[in-house]
Amino acid sequence: MSDTIAVPNKLPATSGRYRISDHLTSFGPLIALVALLIIGGLINESFLSSANISNVLTRSALIGIIAIGTTFVITAGGLDLSVGAMSALVAGLMIMFMNAVAATLGTGWLTVLVGILFALLLGTMAGLVNGLLITRWRIEAFIVTLGTMGIFRSLLTYLSNGGAISLESGLRSTARPIYYGTLLGIAYPILALAILAIIGEFVLWRTRFGRHCAAIGSNAAVAKYSAINVNRVRIATYILQGLCVAVATLIYVPRLGAATPSTGVLWELEAIAAVIIGGTVLSGGYGRIWGTIVGVLILGLIQNILNLTSWFSPHLNGSIQGAIIILAVLMQKGRAAR
Amino acid sequence: MCPTTIPSRIGRTLSTLAQSPAQVERQGMTLLRTNSIRKSFGPVEVLKEIDFAVSPGEVTALVGENGAGKSTLMKIIAGYEQPSSGHLLVDGSDIFFETNVDAEASGIVLVHQEFCLIPHLTVAENIFLGYEPTRRRALDYAAMEQRAALLLEELGSTIHPRMLLSKLAVSDWQMIEIAKALSRRPRLLIMDEPTAVLGHHETDRLFERVDRFRQDGGAVIFTSHKLDEVKRLADQTAILRDGRIVTVAPTGSLTEDEMASLMVGRPLSDLYPPKHPKPDQTSVLSVRELEVPGYVERASFDLRKGEILGFSGLVGSGRTELFEGLFGLRPARCKSFAYQGKGRPLPTPREAYQMGMAYLTEDRKGRGLLFEKSLGENLTLLKGALTGGTVIDIKAERAELDHAITTYEIRAPRPSARVGTLSGGNQQKLLIAKTLLAAPDVIVFDEPTRGIDIGTKQQIYRLIQSLAAAGKTCVVISSEMQEIIGLSHRVMIMRQGRIVGEVAGDTMTEDEIVRYAVGLKEAPIHV
Amino acid sequence: MLASVRSILGIGAMALAVVTASSSIALAEKAKIGISIPAATHGWTGGLNYHTKRTVDALKKAYPDLEFVITTADSATKQVNDIEDLVAVQKINALVILPFESDPLTEPVKEAKKQGIFVTTVDRGLSEEGVEDLYVGGNNPEYGRIAAEYFKTKLKGKGKIVVMRGIPTAIDNIRIDAFKKALEGTSIQVLDMQYANWNPDKGFEVMQDYLQRFPQIDGVWAGDDDAALGAIEAINQAGRDKGMIVLGGSGMNKVIKRIMDGDKLVDADIFYPPTLIIPAIGATALKFATGAPAGGRWVLGSPLITKENAEQYYFPEAPY
Repeated sequence: MSDTIAVPNKLPATSGRYRISDHLTSFGPLIALVALLIIGGLINESFLSSANISNVLTRSALIGIIAIGTTFVITAGGLDLSVGAMSALVAGLMIMFMNAVAATLGTGWLTVLVGILFALLLGTMAGLVNGLLITRWRIEAFIVTLGTMGIFRSLLTYLSNGGAISLESGLRSTARPIYYGTLLGIAYPILALAILAIIGEFVLWRTRFGRHCAAIGSNAAVAKYSAINVNRVRIATYILQGLCVAVATLIYVPRLGAATPSTGVLWELEAIAAVIIGGTVLSGGYGRIWGTIVGVLILGLIQNILNLTSWFSPHLNGSIQGAIIILAVLMQKGRAAR
Repeated sequence: MCPTTIPSRIGRTLSTLAQSPAQVERQGMTLLRTNSIRKSFGPVEVLKEIDFAVSPGEVTALVGENGAGKSTLMKIIAGYEQPSSGHLLVDGSDIFFETNVDAEASGIVLVHQEFCLIPHLTVAENIFLGYEPTRRRALDYAAMEQRAALLLEELGSTIHPRMLLSKLAVSDWQMIEIAKALSRRPRLLIMDEPTAVLGHHETDRLFERVDRFRQDGGAVIFTSHKLDEVKRLADQTAILRDGRIVTVAPTGSLTEDEMASLMVGRPLSDLYPPKHPKPDQTSVLSVRELEVPGYVERASFDLRKGEILGFSGLVGSGRTELFEGLFGLRPARCKSFAYQGKGRPLPTPREAYQMGMAYLTEDRKGRGLLFEKSLGENLTLLKGALTGGTVIDIKAERAELDHAITTYEIRAPRPSARVGTLSGGNQQKLLIAKTLLAAPDVIVFDEPTRGIDIGTKQQIYRLIQSLAAAGKTCVVISSEMQEIIGLSHRVMIMRQGRIVGEVAGDTMTEDEIVRYAVGLKEAPIHV
Repeated sequence: MLASVRSILGIGAMALAVVTASSSIALAEKAKIGISIPAATHGWTGGLNYHTKRTVDALKKAYPDLEFVITTADSATKQVNDIEDLVAVQKINALVILPFESDPLTEPVKEAKKQGIFVTTVDRGLSEEGVEDLYVGGNNPEYGRIAAEYFKTKLKGKGKIVVMRGIPTAIDNIRIDAFKKALEGTSIQVLDMQYANWNPDKGFEVMQDYLQRFPQIDGVWAGDDDAALGAIEAINQAGRDKGMIVLGGSGMNKVIKRIMDGDKLVDADIFYPPTLIIPAIGATALKFATGAPAGGRWVLGSPLITKENAEQYYFPEAPY
């Protein structure tokens, strides 16, 4: 094209740098997190103790790991309401499986390992079910996962007869360190969250797959016209979510050693709230894992701070939590208003 | 850019008080004047010292290359943007439009280039969006539909007011946008590329309507890249270049060539580059009795290596759907399909690209580019999906982007900018760059120069010719007769979903093509 | 008149035994009995559902002419719908209901009564007196009082304790009020009362935070056994089980086992079992099957369960 009309190229040389002003509004959740840490420290001196922070981080790790999967699902334009119920069912089946296998394999690490693999398999299958119903049969994600949520939950209640499904005490002691153990002073769940978050952010931003998720969430037609297999990517996100649920569940089970009908209740809303607070766009096309982690921490800290004070009547806990969530999202309004 | 303000009660009251054109008695007095209007976006000065005037009963054409500032100027006049300095005067007095609602209250209405319509609503609901007539606090659907029908009839359109927008074609959307603007009873109607998606028939009807509007005392400002239309419709022509008005003159005093030269700032060489002779007759692609349910039936043709095959026809004749079907983007079936001499079933989109076929969509906003993402991400989306590894090589991507920006001369504020901020022409160039990055052998260009200025058009024509010279095969779908004739070795014409004729050499004239397109002649290909 | 559960269960069991032995007794009438209970959303209601089903199965075998319809509801609204269906569609003769909440259910139950249906309410009453024919319930004020008495005894009248409340309902309010009242005049200080909703996960989290906040805690009233189990995990993790006492409530079999085994942390429980549905259904059924008298208010006591008497309260097969 060199002999065409010479149009002067006004483009500056390609720098690779972010312009900070583009991203100032996207640091909103981080500011909220820091503010909460300050408030907490002022309210109660034991708030910033390593024990308390460790507790909160460990508790948050469960929702956090689930929310990593949720980030992918939402970025690709989908939604999964079944994660809480899925977790309960996976927990129940996993415990029952381990209890049964313990007869032959004993109550040592071998059984626990087999139980973990079983949980991962269950999570994959559950995610596959969601994914297929949504893509092949073209049913709205909201409806499908609302349905599977009900199915998973009631299956668990049926299996448990309304009570708890408990791990045999021998298995319980073996598996206990998964939740309560530490490596160099950091609890295993926190390590797991950190590792998975780093991997997740890399996959989302630096791999083709992550890019395709964002493309599909942004405009599925454009993705299709760009030779991307939209259905396959979508199914993959739901399977990824199922795996995340499985990992979170296998960390959760050793905590109380049981699955109860109240296991996982409202976890899906917490995960989705964390993802949105963190800056991922609910309608799809843009997602960030680090934001999700910040969102999870914000939710965990709010709960912790409210437990540490008697200022407000405990009846108002819900209102305060809701108000802070709205504030955190408002701070991102700059981005959302584009 | 869609208006996000919904008029308040006050706005609605004011707009009903706005004078209808026929009531304007101040014939000959200036309706609108711009006084030293300047506009900058940050450090970039987009408009410099704009001075011109529009009178009632006068049609003004704004002409200029992409990025010359036409859209910005129109947005300022219509209240969507505010000038950085300078004034607007309406009926001789200074006026400030905070939003488009204020401008509409003064009788100034803009018809957008990118549609602001809601697919889930009906035609009537869209036309009266925000200004819905009510009866006893409930929506008055009867009145809405009646008035909508009237407006559409005046435009010569046969669209039924109760149809859902999602079921209508792009050209229909344009007519509805115009009807919507006219429903506000404007004194000054501003239209941004109104004929870009219209076929000849609809363009004629629109021009008739504009004529009546002008006779009633209304004023019109419009932009178009089709200089022949400018000659036909406009009383005066204002030419913009690099944010400045270079000339304002009665249209009769300028030839098309003069207009084009003034736009570009230098004399124009021939628009269409010389055609490269076809090297051989080997069949690159052949299809028999392709059927796309609802759109195309029994289409058969051959593509020969190195040729440029044109596809002409009225809007809605099925050309886009034919190739979408061929590329697996739509359900389709055929009797036989062969690529590079080897028979095979119709490919999926992925297979098509992998084989070396590429389809450049006519809908760059809806199906071509991710408007919310950056240039780099869009550029490599297709190629990456085909041959990219798992991990993205950021450095390589930046290099590709730099190369593309230079090769195709894409103008963007910065490389990390969102595609939505680029002008239409630059978006189209990016889409072409994206498609060609996958190094295809067969490229189908669907309306490649829609909404693009002369300078860029020429760039694209040269590109297509050089592709053919390099042994690639091109298909060009276009509604611009001159363009198709200027580019193609031969042209196939479609009508109502069937291929009804083929012309080449001596028979490749506008007259012949139109005959086939409207059904006066028919010579279906028997292969 | 307080009747201990033992004797109620005993009567019920005896009646069942008598009847099953002589199953050829001619019935007074055919009847359909509707049962409306909360869904199994937590341990206690899980047990409730289990015992309901068990009882109904046994009664069906004994009295083939009796029909039973069981409905479960996870909200007051659903339960209102259930009642309406039972009355209008199923055409029941008797209704055994454990109201999700007293206020919203009073009107529908009154309507049922108007249609001549025999009404038995279980555990929670209605907001109007005298609507039901038979009431079988636990003693919530006693529940709270016994808990307070336990701490008074164990801590010898002084010390610091934390409390976890249950799901915000009328029952929880009654128990907490009684608890607070019974502690008046002692030197026992209640440090805080957060909601754990009778839920083990919440119990765990709330206890973790209590332990962070208060360097000295002598005892925990977790509200019920589910939350207590969560609290125990948190206490063990923090290593503060020495000198700590934990009290739950409701008689979950796992906790009772611990008491029987002489657990240092948990050595008592308050009796408030989901098995109170058994005499309610049983009495209602017998009324129709044999003409046995059923009516009045039967309030079951909530005695303290300790190592001495734990065995009689232990049902290992039940889910709760």
